[in-house]
Amino acid sequence: MEIKVEKVCKSFDKKPVIHDLTFTIDSGEIVCLLGPSGSGKTTTIRLLIGAIAADSGTICFGDIIVPNIKLLNKIGFMPQNDALYDDLSGEDNLKFFAGLYGIKKDKSEKRISEVLKLVELTNDRKKYVRNYSGGMKKRLSLAAALIHEPDVLLLDEPTSGIDPVLRRTIWDQFKNLKNQGTTIIVSTHVMDEVSECDKAALIYNGILIHFDDIQQLFAKAENGKVEELFLKAAKEQEEGAAIC
Amino acid sequence: MLSLAKRVIQQIIGDKRTLALIIFAPLLLLTLLYFLLGNTTYTPTIAIKENALSPAFVSQLKSEDVKIVDISSSNENANDYLKNHKDVDAVLEVSKLTGANITMFESSVKSGKAMEVIQTAIQNTAKNIIPIAKVNINYVYGNTNDSTFSSLGFVFLGILSFFFVFIISGMALVRERSSGTLERLLMTPIRRRQVILGYSVGYSVFAVIQAILIVLYCIYVLKIHCEGNALWVILVMVLMAISAVVFGAMISIFSHSEFQVVQFIPIVLVPQIFFSGLIPLDTIPYYLGNLCYITPVYYGCTAIKRVMVEGGGFCDIWMFIVALLAYTFILCVLNTLALKKYRKL
Repeated sequence: MEIKVEKVCKSFDKKPVIHDLTFTIDSGEIVCLLGPSGSGKTTTIRLLIGAIAADSGTICFGDIIVPNIKLLNKIGFMPQNDALYDDLSGEDNLKFFAGLYGIKKDKSEKRISEVLKLVELTNDRKKYVRNYSGGMKKRLSLAAALIHEPDVLLLDEPTSGIDPVLRRTIWDQFKNLKNQGTTIIVSTHVMDEVSECDKAALIYNGILIHFDDIQQLFAKAENGKVEELFLKAAKEQEEGAAIC
Repeated sequence: MLSLAKRVIQQIIGDKRTLALIIFAPLLLLTLLYFLLGNTTYTPTIAIKENALSPAFVSQLKSEDVKIVDISSSNENANDYLKNHKDVDAVLEVSKLTGANITMFESSVKSGKAMEVIQTAIQNTAKNIIPIAKVNINYVYGNTNDSTFSSLGFVFLGILSFFFVFIISGMALVRERSSGTLERLLMTPIRRRQVILGYSVGYSVFAVIQAILIVLYCIYVLKIHCEGNALWVILVMVLMAISAVVFGAMISIFSHSEFQVVQFIPIVLVPQIFFSGLIPLDTIPYYLGNLCYITPVYYGCTAIKRVMVEGGGFCDIWMFIVALLAYTFILCVLNTLALKKYRKL
């Protein structure tokens, strides 16, 4: 499913947060939204899923215009905080989310085992989430986003606060999903993670400063580091403000 | 919707303390109230100067359930005597000029009891001379021997149930908001009204269990007299508990943390207690009594009173039942609209 974002603007309390965002994501790509904290990554993801409405501009998934309640069946969403129920077991959390998507019981049990295996939590499925470690919660949260086999995954900082070993396994899982045809949009502020993706959207102060294949991006940056592009954008915006 | 209700039930069962709070805390408080407000078998102590009173009255007084202390030899005035003798409840003096003077330490259940004994004794002494001196008091509903607990028990029944359900449902929803799980579950194809319904059904299961337990406990263990059919009381209690669930959900919309829910208790819950039937509403000035129509507890408690005290049936309470249902429905609609904050659809 192709995702088309066209001229999207959004402000909160008259303060512009996203300004004139336009990009297209092809089916089966891993795209990362890269930017410092406060740059508008989470807002972009929330706009994409339709949690908040854009002030102007359109977002389309294939030919469906966001927001659309049926579309939510095809999107897996993983929020920045874990957003799990501490007083339920890992398995019961997944059962609950499966129920929300209306997955039938026999099918959901099979699917729960599958996703638990995928995030390596099979042995801890009966444990209460309050006894989970931070990394386990993150993985369970990912499992919950995958439960209904979505075509598109929207993941808000899925690897923040996770150790390098686990981060590696999570990225490997993303690549497996991509190979199965899932489109994945990941937000992150870790510049190194860019190299894992196909494309990257660099957002700075709510403005899309670059959107390109990562090879192209690396070519654009003089010293081969993505930070360079942000520093350049910061300088340009400052100068722009000075001229005004 | 059912998976949401199921999850709420699972969560409460997993959280033993909340479960105990819903089920047993109201029973505990009702028991406590039963002992605090129940009929005491207290025997008051009254001090008199025996030689200053007529022998007929003294013997009549002594035949009552009372301890008599003779203070003929004391020169202290009544006030000082009571201050120095805390075990004496009342001093009775008679003078030709002013009639009987009863002095008591303070207005309390104990002094009321002493007063009652003295009045009975006076009446019983005088009735042989003039029949009108003997007064018999009758009520249409209830009788003179009813304790405060049995005549006002219906109020506590309603308030306690409402209070606990309100706190638990309000807190749980606020927690759901702050932990981000509400946003997450709204990112699934569930409808907003299904979310509110699912919650209400989940919590209502416990509210219903609690309501039934409270009513049965009051009638069969604490022996509150129930004039009408207990099933009607249970029905009203159940409806009131469900309205408490949606009321709690409503309050949670305006709160960003559990602490803010607690801040709402004095503003939102305490006035409901005033309008529950503890105070006769038609005596309140400036038509403030009409405020009762916006409190669900008023409808619930009045209906319970109609059944328990006045022995009414469905015909006497149907309008209160309709009011509670309407209240619940309106709050559900408002709650559903409030979820728009998280998802426009």
